[in-house]
Amino acid sequence: MDRDERMREVQDKPGGRKGSSRIRTHRQRPIDNYKDQAAGSSRVSMVNIASSSEPLSIRGASRPTAAGRIRRNAVSLNTSKVPGMPATSTAVVGVKATDQWREYVRSRYNRETRFLNLERMLDDPIVQKYNLLVPGVPGSSGKETAAMFKLAAQLRPPVQTLSLANNHIQSGKDISSVGMFLPKLANLSLANNQLKTMDDIRLLTREKNKLDFLRELVLTGNPIKGNDPANAEQYRRDIVKRFPALEMLDNEPIVKVGFDAPTPHANPSHRLTPIPTTNSFARPMSPSFVMGVDGGLVSEFLTRFFTLFDTQRSELLDVYHPAATFSFSANTSIPPRARIQGLHSTLPNQKNLKWDIWLGGGNGGSRNLSRVGNVDKMAQSLHLGRENVVQSILGLPKTKHDISGAPSGFCLDGWLTGSTLFVTVHGQFTEEPVNALRSFDRSFVLAPAADDSRAKMKGWTVEILSDQLTVRAYSSSDAWTPGPMVVQPIVASKDSQPPNLEAALASIPEPQRAQVARLCQQTGLNVNFAVDCLQQNGWDHERAVGNFEQVKVRVNCFRGFCRIRPCGELRHSAGRSSGLNLCVYLMMLTYLT
Amino acid sequence: MSTLTRDDIEIATRAADQFTRLYYSTYDSPTRVIDLPKFYRPSSAITWNGNPFAGADAVRDLLNETPITKHEVQCFDCHPIPGGQPPNLLVTVSGTVTYGNPANPTVPSNNSAKSKNVDGQPRVFSQTFVLVPDSSAVPAKTSEVAKYYISADALRFVG
Repeated sequence: MDRDERMREVQDKPGGRKGSSRIRTHRQRPIDNYKDQAAGSSRVSMVNIASSSEPLSIRGASRPTAAGRIRRNAVSLNTSKVPGMPATSTAVVGVKATDQWREYVRSRYNRETRFLNLERMLDDPIVQKYNLLVPGVPGSSGKETAAMFKLAAQLRPPVQTLSLANNHIQSGKDISSVGMFLPKLANLSLANNQLKTMDDIRLLTREKNKLDFLRELVLTGNPIKGNDPANAEQYRRDIVKRFPALEMLDNEPIVKVGFDAPTPHANPSHRLTPIPTTNSFARPMSPSFVMGVDGGLVSEFLTRFFTLFDTQRSELLDVYHPAATFSFSANTSIPPRARIQGLHSTLPNQKNLKWDIWLGGGNGGSRNLSRVGNVDKMAQSLHLGRENVVQSILGLPKTKHDISGAPSGFCLDGWLTGSTLFVTVHGQFTEEPVNALRSFDRSFVLAPAADDSRAKMKGWTVEILSDQLTVRAYSSSDAWTPGPMVVQPIVASKDSQPPNLEAALASIPEPQRAQVARLCQQTGLNVNFAVDCLQQNGWDHERAVGNFEQVKVRVNCFRGFCRIRPCGELRHSAGRSSGLNLCVYLMMLTYLT
Repeated sequence: MSTLTRDDIEIATRAADQFTRLYYSTYDSPTRVIDLPKFYRPSSAITWNGNPFAGADAVRDLLNETPITKHEVQCFDCHPIPGGQPPNLLVTVSGTVTYGNPANPTVPSNNSAKSKNVDGQPRVFSQTFVLVPDSSAVPAKTSEVAKYYISADALRFVG
């Protein structure tokens, strides 16, 4: 790894005066712009820099002071013959400061190795000459630094390696703009500074300014690294988590697994295939899918499993493999569709459900890895071995899975992968003692029960190798009702409204007309149905919309039948039966036609 | 069957973190038709809302008929599955996904209209993967213990 050697070499010979003078031989001269013929784009870019009159959008050194503003006014008063002419004098002052920074940044750049060496900045003669306020120096602000990194972003070929070692940098604020201006940076050394906490590193990886392509990071010689080996694992994990592409930290490789993932900077010209813009999915929601094994085997297993999970969890010890793994996660987000359907406000006892019991319970707590940052928690919340598994599930809230109820309440997909059976189940249970519904997803990896296994002796045909449970706020099982699905509703816009809608609306008296139009637009109902719906709901818009959504949920339930029975037949039966009120019936017709 | 070590767990966790990030950002990207199938092999088994597919090519076909997406991962978990070395990984993901362009620009923006229409809202999805080390692949980097691919992938809309 020549990259590492390079980085190490840099650390061994920190660039002082001597180092910088050596590097200064690479200082940009105009002729250099034409030397580097290898990269066709670089010449253009260099020319761009040379002729760049673009003011720094983040003004650091060039920010006009109050005095500067007054002076500019004075100048523009004196030279007001050409209105709108830029105020030249301030611009000169600003550009001058920028030029000083540019001179410094360029002097420290090695284009061959694409290495920007900003070590020991205070020792640099250019910094000293202009008294540049480099990061880490009292009085310097993020703005100067941002200006410096902005200039670094203009270097060509682009900077690959940046060293800010040995600079008394005390806060992440001093360097928070690195990611903004050098987002593709591959190697970064911050060795021998005064970075103390993970917050300093967080500032380096804020949302848009993440260093997503950083492969190597050096933080040795900073207090954050600490000397306590007990914290080393946490430190490493915290850092690794923040930089997805990191391969080396403090000169030690980060062991990980690879994927044939796309290169993150995939060529946009690869945008070959048009993305479909149809309004329905090409595939419908389909029923449970089981392949490679007898479906009876799977349902028998699940029925017995959930029955024991509800009534006698300790007995499940038999069905877990001695080396089994189990964990549970709480997804506490509010499901958007269920919220609009009002499920959490109308279903019994929903308001009494608490997440704490899941987040902290089960002998180790929820293992949602998008939240769990602590290494110990990450290890404690994964239960290894069947005794520990059972200890954990005994610590979870009591549940009641409605196994004997309608099969549509559950949905499962499963098939053989190699010698194991992979099964994932979606459904709901009643959480006790609150007596309220929650939804869950549960994934199992099962193996045939060995002849001498405890599972086999207790009559199980399979045993569990892995079991992952996700608990969510309740969503209706209508989500997996078989049938076609809509991508996005076709919202009737003013332009696309059929002309007869305008005409139909015109027949409605004015106070209600706007309300009817609004409901038509929002729900796609025609004028007559919208009027019906509003009348039934006392002309209360919100109630009418709520009613419409409720009805639609029920209509969705029927969609499964539509595939079996001709729609005409359904129309009759829906009209005759089940006490559906007229509005519902009419709306169903609008949906079914 | 060997006991899983803390290292196994650590690597599995890191893998899941990296995988979910890469997988869904690829899924939501304009180049997904080219890039997403790379996570799969010809032997991969996939179900999309109960519709079965096999292999990377089928993933490509599926994507060709799928509207653009925006995923939000809210919750994920990963186990090393006992039995192999390096172990297979079981990854479960829970989150929301929006298909198509939710905002119709020709409609005057009416917040209550948008928020009341269930069909335009993100769906809750649940996706489970079995990731398997590719014994034939040479790890590209020295720090990689193995290269993994998706052996099984089951997705459902669940809310």
